[in-house]
Amino acid sequence: MTIRKLISILCISFATLFSQTTFAMLSMELTRGISGAMPITITPFAIQGVPPTEDIAAIVSNDLKNSGRFKLSTGSTDDKVIGTVQEAGANRYQINFQLLEGFKGKSAQPTVLLNKKYTVSGDELRSLAHHISDAIYQQLTGVKGVFSTRLAYVVVQRGAGSTKYILEIADQDGYNPRPLLTSNDPIMSPSWSRDGKRIAYVSFENQHSAIYIEDVATGSRQLISEFKGHNGAPAWSPDGRKLALVLSKTGSFNIYVMDIGSRQLTPLTQDHYINTEPSWSPNGRSLIFTSNRSGNPQIFQLNLASKAVTRVSYDGNFNARASYTPDGNHITMLNRESGLYNIGILDLDTGVFRVLTNSSSDSESPSMAPNGSMILFGTLYNGRSVLGMVATDGSVQIRLPGRNGEVQDPAWSPFSA
Amino acid sequence: MQLKKVVRNLAIVGCVLALSACAAPGHKGQGQDQDGMNGADANGNNVQSSGVGQGSNFGDSAGGPQQSLAKRTYYFDYDKSDIRAEDKRAISSNADYLMAHASAKIILEGHTDPRGSREYNVALAERRANSVAEFMKAKGVNPDQIRVVSYGAQRLASAGHAENDYQLDRRVVLVYTKK
Repeated sequence: MTIRKLISILCISFATLFSQTTFAMLSMELTRGISGAMPITITPFAIQGVPPTEDIAAIVSNDLKNSGRFKLSTGSTDDKVIGTVQEAGANRYQINFQLLEGFKGKSAQPTVLLNKKYTVSGDELRSLAHHISDAIYQQLTGVKGVFSTRLAYVVVQRGAGSTKYILEIADQDGYNPRPLLTSNDPIMSPSWSRDGKRIAYVSFENQHSAIYIEDVATGSRQLISEFKGHNGAPAWSPDGRKLALVLSKTGSFNIYVMDIGSRQLTPLTQDHYINTEPSWSPNGRSLIFTSNRSGNPQIFQLNLASKAVTRVSYDGNFNARASYTPDGNHITMLNRESGLYNIGILDLDTGVFRVLTNSSSDSESPSMAPNGSMILFGTLYNGRSVLGMVATDGSVQIRLPGRNGEVQDPAWSPFSA
Repeated sequence: MQLKKVVRNLAIVGCVLALSACAAPGHKGQGQDQDGMNGADANGNNVQSSGVGQGSNFGDSAGGPQQSLAKRTYYFDYDKSDIRAEDKRAISSNADYLMAHASAKIILEGHTDPRGSREYNVALAERRANSVAEFMKAKGVNPDQIRVVSYGAQRLASAGHAENDYQLDRRVVLVYTKK
């Protein structure tokens, strides 16, 4: 292939990429993939009747490719996805897809691994495509897919004289961005309830920090905490009834648990150090948090029954903003190594700590995918704040630059969002 | 001689401007901000962008009390909340002003650079603002005249990501909400 030809192909691919992401706030760029990615062929779905506005095969292809676990192929692969989209009335479509296996085997007849049929409206096609991606991913990897989940993050648009802060929610692939709150004052620390229906966050809209809980579907919200000093780092308990939060009303930063129904506060730490960024264990029996009680910030675990506090992190002189994997066996955290802030993961059984992001720019705010496969975080790229994802085994890395402004402080939704 | 006089006059004018800019405390709109400038934010921005904040460029050591009164942004070392020696005079002048004007009120806004974790930065920035507050209280300022707000890394002074940008980010800004 000549260079010229290669360049023209590259240009076409870029143009295609761009047109596909016109309606996405964030675009996805796979920057590191697995060498052993599973090859899969996804054939364009056969269309009968009026063509739909969304290309289901293209969405499924993007999902699987950006997971880093699959390699798209047009050749002969063992696994193949085929499907049809049939017009079924005004703005309604019937979709059928099949996941077939065995094209490389000796048997002439491939095995049907999945065969499903759906009837949806035109505006449900995108979410159906993600649902199909989830089904294929789970069938082939044994792990539940996260293609139907959502991301919350804060967009910062600096203008002349004023800065706009937008708390936004988008699909996991960056499409369908919707603002949850727009403000001229900072917004930070979004936290999803475990059912994905509500988000707690910190807003400075009244010239001081306060914690609000907002209903994602309706946008209605309630003020939860507005004490003197800082009101921050909200974290939902697994049962959705309590909120761990951080208050500095006593003059130092301590962790409290609020019963959301009664608004009753129970202090968990009561000292003069910095204690912040609480995160619940999946079973709800303990919290991990950041504290500088040992001199520099490290991760500690607090047993809620015994109130015993034990140090968890030992690698490096800065570890903060930790959270558990869904199985409770690992925790991800922000780690500083030779002046650079990276995302790392600690195996709680072996005590082995591993840095996952090996970029030359600082990262922030790691947030775990609900299936434990990836970590979402904020990082710098070309001098701008963007989002990134890294696999918890370090194998895959994805960049999600924002289209408009800086993007920071992300939170990955639970499954049911 | 002439230059010194000009500088001093400029400093005084700047100071008067700064205080008059703060004369009307911002009216807080509940969520509905017309132009992105409200409350303490507007005051803070005014102080920083009106040129008065640059008063320190004239040379603090040569300045009189008015000049150091106009210096309302205090910078901090990385991971530190100790007031720099060069800022003590300006903080003292503002403390004197507060003691002489019992109805005057200020907000001390604490800030960090963007590196690190967001909520931990809020704690660091509050420590910075608190060290300025404690210094003023030790001088005799009534604690009721001081309010501390920590923004952490949520309101950066500079959009860049070089060390000199980070230095501008690590600051406490003193804002008069009532003269």
